[in-house]
Amino acid sequence: MGAGAALLTLEGISIRFGGVTALREVSFSVRAGEIFALIGPNGAGKTTLFNVVSGIYPSQAGSVVFDGQDLGRVPPHRIAALGIARTFQNIELFDHATVLQNLLIGGHTRRRTGLWQDLLFLRSTREAECRLRAEVEQVIDFLELQHYRDALVGNLPYGVRKIVELARALCVGPRLLLLDEPSSGLNAEETDDLAFWIEDIRSDLGITVLMVEHDMALVSRVSDRVLALDQGRVLALGTPAEVQRDPSVIEAYIGSADR
Amino acid sequence: MYFRFPTSYEQDLQLFNSPGQRARYVVAAIVFATAPWWASEYLLSQFNLVLIYGIVGLGLMLLTGFTGLVSLGHAAFLAVGAYTEALATAHGWSFPLSLVAASTLAAVAGIAVGLPALRLRGIYLAIATMAFGFIVEEIAARAESLTGGNAGRSVAGLEIFGWPVNSEARFFGVTAVIAVALVFALRNLLHAPTGRALIAIRDSEISAQSMGISLARYKTLAFTISAAITGMAGALYAHKLRFLSPDQFTLLQSIEMLMMVVIGGLGSLQGAILGAAFFVALPQVLGEVKDWLPPAIGQAPGLQPTLFGLVMIAVVLYEPLGIYGRWSKLRIWVENFPLVRSGTFRRQRTYQRSQRLQ
Repeated sequence: MGAGAALLTLEGISIRFGGVTALREVSFSVRAGEIFALIGPNGAGKTTLFNVVSGIYPSQAGSVVFDGQDLGRVPPHRIAALGIARTFQNIELFDHATVLQNLLIGGHTRRRTGLWQDLLFLRSTREAECRLRAEVEQVIDFLELQHYRDALVGNLPYGVRKIVELARALCVGPRLLLLDEPSSGLNAEETDDLAFWIEDIRSDLGITVLMVEHDMALVSRVSDRVLALDQGRVLALGTPAEVQRDPSVIEAYIGSADR
Repeated sequence: MYFRFPTSYEQDLQLFNSPGQRARYVVAAIVFATAPWWASEYLLSQFNLVLIYGIVGLGLMLLTGFTGLVSLGHAAFLAVGAYTEALATAHGWSFPLSLVAASTLAAVAGIAVGLPALRLRGIYLAIATMAFGFIVEEIAARAESLTGGNAGRSVAGLEIFGWPVNSEARFFGVTAVIAVALVFALRNLLHAPTGRALIAIRDSEISAQSMGISLARYKTLAFTISAAITGMAGALYAHKLRFLSPDQFTLLQSIEMLMMVVIGGLGSLQGAILGAAFFVALPQVLGEVKDWLPPAIGQAPGLQPTLFGLVMIAVVLYEPLGIYGRWSKLRIWVENFPLVRSGTFRRQRTYQRSQRLQ
C-alpha cells in the first residue's frame, strides 16, 4: 500500500447549475499510489466531481491541484497530456472504429508527427505508428483483449466495451486514472476480473486510481480509502470499513433509525 | 477464402491488407489508366466529371464522413476554387501555381467557416454553412468585375507549361493524377494520428477531448483540408466547363454533393468516388431508359430528382454504408461462398444513449 504524497488535491470545490448546488465546498486529496473510491447515492455529485477534475466543468470556486499544477485554467484537452485519463459512466467509445483504433487514439497525446508527415506517411510516421502499436499491444495483453483487436466497438457486448474503455484510458499512459462506475453492467465474473485488474493497475503499472463505484463489495475489496458524498457535500472519509460504519453515510443511503 | 496472419506491426500499415484486394485495385488501375485508348471522347468526358465530383466527394467525405461535421455550403468552396482558377489563368499564372492558389484560397475560406462553426453542431452547423454558401453565391453574382456576375465568365483552356490540355484524354490524365494523389494522401492521413483524431471527434466529442484531442484544432483542420480539396476540384471544374456562373454554385449543388457522399457510403474514401460515379451515371442511364418507360413516367418532369430522392431514402433505410457498403457485402459473400450464414450481415442492435437509461 504505497501511500505517498498527495497527487491530486481538491480544495473547497463548489459548482452550481442554476439553482442546484452540485458540489459544496468539497475538499480531499488522493495520495500517489492509492486506490481511492467515491461513493454516494445518485445525484450526490460524483460524476460532476470527475468532470471538474477532467476540466469539462470549470470549477466556480476552489482549486484542483494535480502534482503541483493548478488545473483551474487548463483546457480539457490538455488534461490527458498531464497524466490524467478517465472512463465514462455510459461508455463513450468511438463506436464506428475498431478496438485497435480506439486504443491507438488513447495514445494521441504521445503523437510526434505533424499533418504533412501524416499525409505523406513518411518514415517518421511509420516508425511512430509501430512504436505506438507496440505500447498498445501491451495494454491489449494486460487486459486480455487479443480476440477483439479488429472488432468494431459498436458490435461488442457491453461488458467487453467497458474493458475496452478501461484499456483506452490506460493507453493514455496516465499517472492518475479516473474510473466512473467501472463495474456497472458487468456480471459477477467480470466484476471479479475487474477487481484484479484495478489492483494490478496500481501495483504493476503504478497508476493511482480514483473511482466512482456503487458496488460496495468491489469498493471494500480494492480501495484504500473511501469518500462518501451526498448532495454535493462530503459525509465521511476513511477506510472502507470506517465509512460503512459512519452513521451519516448510513442515513444518506437508508434513512435514519429514529424519526 | 483468405486468412490473414500478420507477423509484424509494419504489415498492418501496408496499403492493401490482402493479395486479393491488391489484385482488384491493380486491375482497376490498369483498366482506367488505359481508358484514353479504349474509351470514346464522350465517355472520357464523363470519367472526367466523375473524377472532379469524386475529388469534391473526397473533401466532403473527410468532413462529413470522417469528422461528422455536416456541410451544406460545399458548393461555395468549389466556387472559390473555380473563380480563383479562372482569374489566375486569365492573369497568365501557370497551372500548378494556380491550382495551389485555388486550393489555398478555398482553404482560407474553410478556416473562416470552420472557426465560428466550432460552437455549432448538427443541424445548426448545417445552417451556418448554408449561410456561407449563400454569401459566396451572392458575392459571385455581385462582383461583376471579377466573376462576370450573373452573365457568367468564360475560362481559358488548361495549359501546363506550354502543353495544351486540349482533349478529354489529356484532361483525364491531369484529373486522374490529382485524384489518385489525393486518395493516397487521405488514406495515409486516416491511418495516422491526425485521421484517428478526426474519427474520434465524429464518434464522441467528450471522450476525444479526454484523450487529449483539441476539438477546436482538429475541427478547423478538417474544414481547412476539406475546403482545400474542394477548391482543387473547383480549379479542375473551371477548366472542364470553361464557363462559370453563380447558378452553378447554389444550395442545390451543395445538397447534391452531400447526397453523393451519403449514397456512396459515409466513412469510406471509396464511397466518395462511387457516389460521384453514381451521380454522373444516373442521368445518363435515365436518358437511355426513358424511351422504354411508359410516357407518363418517362416524360414526367422531375423524374431525376425523384429518383435521387428515392435512392437516398433506400440508402438511409437499408444500407447506411451506401454503395461501398453494398459492394463490401457482395465481396464478402463471394469470398466466403458457400459458407455465408444468413446472419452474417445482420446489423447488431446497438443501444442508443437514451434507450440505455430506460
